[in-house]
Amino acid sequence: MFKSLRWRLQVWHAIVLLIVLTSFGGIVHSLHWQTRLQQVDAELDRTAGVVMSQLRRLLPRPPGGRPGGGRRPRRTDEANPEADTGARSDANTAATTSRPDSSRNEPNPANPAALSSDQSGRPGPPRYDRFDPGPLPEEFQQLFHGDEESRLYFVIWGGNGDLLQKSDSAPEISYPNLHVGREGLPIRLVRSRPGDQAYREVIHAGMFDMNILVGRSLEKDLAAHHRSGLLLAGAGLVILAAGVLGGGWLSSRAILPIAEMTATAESISALDLSKRINVKETDSELGKLATVLNQTFDRLQSAFERQSQFTADASHELRTPLSVISTHTELALSRPRSNEDYRGAIETCRRASQRMKSLIDSLLLLARFDSGTPSLKQDLFDLKPLLEDCAELVDQLAAERRIRIECDPDSCYVRGDWDRISQVVTNLLTNAIRYNIEGGRVCVTTRTEAETAILSVTDTGVGIAADQLSRIFDRFYQVDKARSRAEGSSGLGLSICKTIVEAHGGTIVATSKVGVGTTLEVRLPRAIESVTTAGTKSNEIDKELLLK
Amino acid sequence: MRVLVVEDEPDVIRAVAMYLREEGYSVDTADNGEDGLFKGVTWDYDAILLDVMLPRRDGWSVLSELRRQNKTTPVLMLTARDTVKDRVRGLDTGADDYLIKPFELSELAARLRALIRRSAGKSQPIIEIGNVTIDMTSRTVSVDGTAVALTAKEYCLLEFLAIHRGELVTRTKIYDHLFDEYDASLSNLVDVYVSNIRRKVGRELITTRRGMGYIIDS
Repeated sequence: MFKSLRWRLQVWHAIVLLIVLTSFGGIVHSLHWQTRLQQVDAELDRTAGVVMSQLRRLLPRPPGGRPGGGRRPRRTDEANPEADTGARSDANTAATTSRPDSSRNEPNPANPAALSSDQSGRPGPPRYDRFDPGPLPEEFQQLFHGDEESRLYFVIWGGNGDLLQKSDSAPEISYPNLHVGREGLPIRLVRSRPGDQAYREVIHAGMFDMNILVGRSLEKDLAAHHRSGLLLAGAGLVILAAGVLGGGWLSSRAILPIAEMTATAESISALDLSKRINVKETDSELGKLATVLNQTFDRLQSAFERQSQFTADASHELRTPLSVISTHTELALSRPRSNEDYRGAIETCRRASQRMKSLIDSLLLLARFDSGTPSLKQDLFDLKPLLEDCAELVDQLAAERRIRIECDPDSCYVRGDWDRISQVVTNLLTNAIRYNIEGGRVCVTTRTEAETAILSVTDTGVGIAADQLSRIFDRFYQVDKARSRAEGSSGLGLSICKTIVEAHGGTIVATSKVGVGTTLEVRLPRAIESVTTAGTKSNEIDKELLLK
Repeated sequence: MRVLVVEDEPDVIRAVAMYLREEGYSVDTADNGEDGLFKGVTWDYDAILLDVMLPRRDGWSVLSELRRQNKTTPVLMLTARDTVKDRVRGLDTGADDYLIKPFELSELAARLRALIRRSAGKSQPIIEIGNVTIDMTSRTVSVDGTAVALTAKEYCLLEFLAIHRGELVTRTKIYDHLFDEYDASLSNLVDVYVSNIRRKVGRELITTRRGMGYIIDS
């Protein structure tokens, strides 16, 4: 069962569907995560902006600093208008109301902030090596007090890597050694926290020569992502199940005609060959297969019918002489008879047995040719003497019916079995005499074509109608049953002729005109001339030797 | 009893006809379907033996044509074909029995007797009329248990009258059924047979209806 086509189709279909669904689901899932991370990053960026703008308020203005130093963060503010307004109000309140809480920002040794210029003395962007904006306002800290799952934090390092500020919620993070661009332009870096993928961090390096890191726990996002993943997987499973069921239905529908064909083919047996597969769609592959199978069944049936017809005919032909023997012996023995009667009965039985013998000989000959082992000789001989011999053989029969045989053939060499070809010619001559009119003629001629030797036997008999002419070579076919029976013919003669001629690689054709006569033409492959002349020459040499 | 044998094999016809004649039947023959049909339609045979493979008109066609012309003559098909299909076809066409070649003449005769008996409405092979017993199987007649020697023709006439017991059997009918086409129909031949039977079996068995025929009263 599991090796059946249907099951294999089903399994392959399921496998392909599974692969497609899995890869599709995987891609969707990962794209979804990417989008979520981008959202998180944007959020972190905004937070960084807020932190920066807040800190900017706390920072002392750089001495002699170019306005660019102050302008740069403003650009960030303008980019995030809503974050800007919120943060600013927060920052204002923080700046005015709560200052005292400074004990928590312990890792800043330098207080107030030390401001230094570039070592080279060249005027450049101000650098905050040390920076302590003092204690951060409470509200500001509040921003970074989320629950564990969505914890938000920031860390600020100075240009040289000193920790300047960090939120209470910030874990221990080592200074990410970032190489700020040579022009001092700020760079932005997004990363997952090293060692803990559940945190996402955005680092803005080089802003006011400070590096700010804003991070966030991804726990909530991961949970949400996990949920959506489960949802996707569930949907995928449902689709897979639907696909497999649909595929099963489709494959069973596709297999259905095959099952029908199998059932029909199974029900066809030697007893009943008449059934055929019902062909609905002749253009489909299965329809074509069914048509081809039906044609095969047709051929099989006709072969079977021919075979059984032949068997029936053969048995009929054998039973008839057997009935003669059976009835005559029983009749003779039924009561005491005269010697004359017994003699008559025995004579009748002998005739019947001879008829059986010749019939059996014919059947055996046909069977040998049918099985393809005819054991034909391959002698080279002239048709002329053969025809003359045969004509002589039937001379007596012809004389009885006052039929004249005109036999004047030309020399014509063929290769084959002398005895078999003689059998053919004798058969044709006997037919020509038997089915001739009294006082008629039989004409035997030969002629040659490029590669063919043709011998023809023409009679002046009653002729054969066109519809019967096509059947005269069929086994047991008799044109005039009553006459054939009277002549002791079984209806095998011409089919034997045909079989023998075809075994020699030739053909036999009949042409006839009702009331005029019938011509039978035997075409045999002609033997090669050079061989024939060599043959005759050697014969002549032999004769000369003998004469000497 | 008069039967027609339609068969194309001359040797078989000869043997069958001779055997049946020796059994006391009158036998007509035909060696082709057309002749067989013509004779079968023209005469009232007691039975027809019909071969299937016949020249000019095959046995099936002869049989169906006979039945089409409302001839109810019992037909025994003779054939060399013994497939079930052929047998079914024969019986369906209206054949009464079937015999496959080669057959035994004794079996043929037995089947023929049974056919004729059945068609006359007598299924028993023994007819008893008073003290006279006619055994159709052994073709013997006995009076009070003593066998009586009858010639074949005498027996046939007695059997014919006995089968048609209670009916008037005309002289023409006797000629039609007991003599074949080659017998010269001498008008006093039947009278001779009847008087012979009366002498051997008993006077009162067969009643003469003057100018009409004979009858065995039931």
